[in-house]
Amino acid sequence: MSNMAEVVKPVASLMGVSKTIGSKTLVSDLTLDIPPGQVFGFLGPNGAGKTTTIRMMVGLISISKGDILICGRSVKDHFEEAIANVGAIVENPEMYKFLTGYQNLRQYARMVRGVGKERIDEVIKLVGLEQRIHDKVKTYSLGMRQRLGVAQALLHRPKLLILDEPTNGLDPQGIRELRDYLRRLCIEEGTTVFVSSHLLSEMELMCDSVAIIQNGKLVDVKQLKAVGDSIAVSSVETLFDVDNPQAALELIGRGQLQPGGIVLEAGREEVAGLNARLVAAGIKVYGIRTLSRSLEDQFLEITGGEGIV
Amino acid sequence: MSEFTSLIHNENIKIYSRVRTWVMLFILAFISVLFPALFHFTSSGGSASLMGLWENFQTTLTIAFFLNTIFTVVIASDSVAGEFSWGTIKLLLIRPWSRSKILLSKYISLVLFSLLSTAVMMLFAYGASLIFSSGNASANVGSFTAFEYAMLDVLCSYFEMFITAALAFMVSSVFRASGLAIGLSLFIMFTQSMFAMIFNPERYAWAKYLIFTHMDLHRYILSDTGPAGITFGFSALVLGVYYLLFLLVAWYVFRKRDVAA
Repeated sequence: MSNMAEVVKPVASLMGVSKTIGSKTLVSDLTLDIPPGQVFGFLGPNGAGKTTTIRMMVGLISISKGDILICGRSVKDHFEEAIANVGAIVENPEMYKFLTGYQNLRQYARMVRGVGKERIDEVIKLVGLEQRIHDKVKTYSLGMRQRLGVAQALLHRPKLLILDEPTNGLDPQGIRELRDYLRRLCIEEGTTVFVSSHLLSEMELMCDSVAIIQNGKLVDVKQLKAVGDSIAVSSVETLFDVDNPQAALELIGRGQLQPGGIVLEAGREEVAGLNARLVAAGIKVYGIRTLSRSLEDQFLEITGGEGIV
Repeated sequence: MSEFTSLIHNENIKIYSRVRTWVMLFILAFISVLFPALFHFTSSGGSASLMGLWENFQTTLTIAFFLNTIFTVVIASDSVAGEFSWGTIKLLLIRPWSRSKILLSKYISLVLFSLLSTAVMMLFAYGASLIFSSGNASANVGSFTAFEYAMLDVLCSYFEMFITAALAFMVSSVFRASGLAIGLSLFIMFTQSMFAMIFNPERYAWAKYLIFTHMDLHRYILSDTGPAGITFGFSALVLGVYYLLFLLVAWYVFRKRDVAA
């Protein structure tokens, strides 16, 4: 997978991008390639420079240094061509409240070529707003505005979808649906999704890769699926929840005693074997859990758990 | 890329789908009918003292133009500043259109509104003047017939409004605050004659280049020169320079400035 990413041209490349306002550096020398066909996460604590970076990518704020290419076109020099490949929500999706949801979508449809009535209806169906689309936006809940925001971003079938904190204000069901249709977009339409968040657990479920940013600097890029794969082959910390931990420890001969069980390093096959041995020796096994480090642990480790600077 | 006209269409929708716009147009129509009626019912000396058709029309429009200017300034001020206060500017600027074209479409829709509101006013004022005027023919004014004079008067008022709206548009684009844009432009509209008096170009030579000295073009209808021998051509030139300056500043700031929170 990583080999493929190197061969395929990135959908977006940030090349040494910096943003300074006065003496304050918000983003500093950020270099990042976003490979096509992925859900790519952009993770960082509040104030790390996520939104600033996204604003530069969509041309809302100027780039102090460096350049950003989208589908090979510079946002600085060929804005109109570059942005034609992008659909985005920057922070909260604000719509014209005095228009209906449908009229709002018509506004954006008129600004691009080739978005007809069928496409508008298709997108409305995709985000599940059929019932309320002809109501004024001022009557919408935050979650519905979020859906309308996604709809306007998808209208022109962009190659790159940029979503800034898209789960803000969504209920658990909405978050789940968003996750599902981002995944579907990625697979069915080949859309690349660039999504920022400070919610680590959310990113873990949604993304193929994440870039971690802190204090305006890129800290790390991780491939989450690769992490998942490695669990299968290498040994990981596993907790055996048993009725007699002392006896289990003696039987296996290694591991650490913990309240309610023992913890030891074991591979996938080994775990099955150990379980059989424990059961055969008359020890009751209530549960087996891998104690893999979550992204949250890794994130806190990488960013050193620092606060907003 | 789609057509530029669809951008103007979008801007028009934003103006005319708001109830406010229709209330403003209704009030303009109402005022335009009200004044001819008031002149009719409050005149004391019988039909002989009633104003002629075009006199009536012109007086009504002079009054109604204050309101027309205020409403046009409100639309101009909201045009850019509104997008910022609603937050919709973020979604508007990430379309495959340059900022210059988006600003131009906004300006064109503003000019279209000013033409529409003026047309509504003229239409209703004319209709009401037909009903509420005496049969007397309006007296000639100078070398013009009453009709010609009324039309020239409207044209001068429209230009004054046009410049004021451009100022409001600029302030709206630079400060992104519609309140400030409305306040500042109306302040200039109401105080320009006072400024023109204080900074009289006959006393101060530099006052010839102030915008206040030139905004009221009505004086040129009957006279070739204004105060201190200023000619119409010179006034038109100064106004033209100010107008270009307003639009240039609006354009430059709108194009360059960062759109952050």
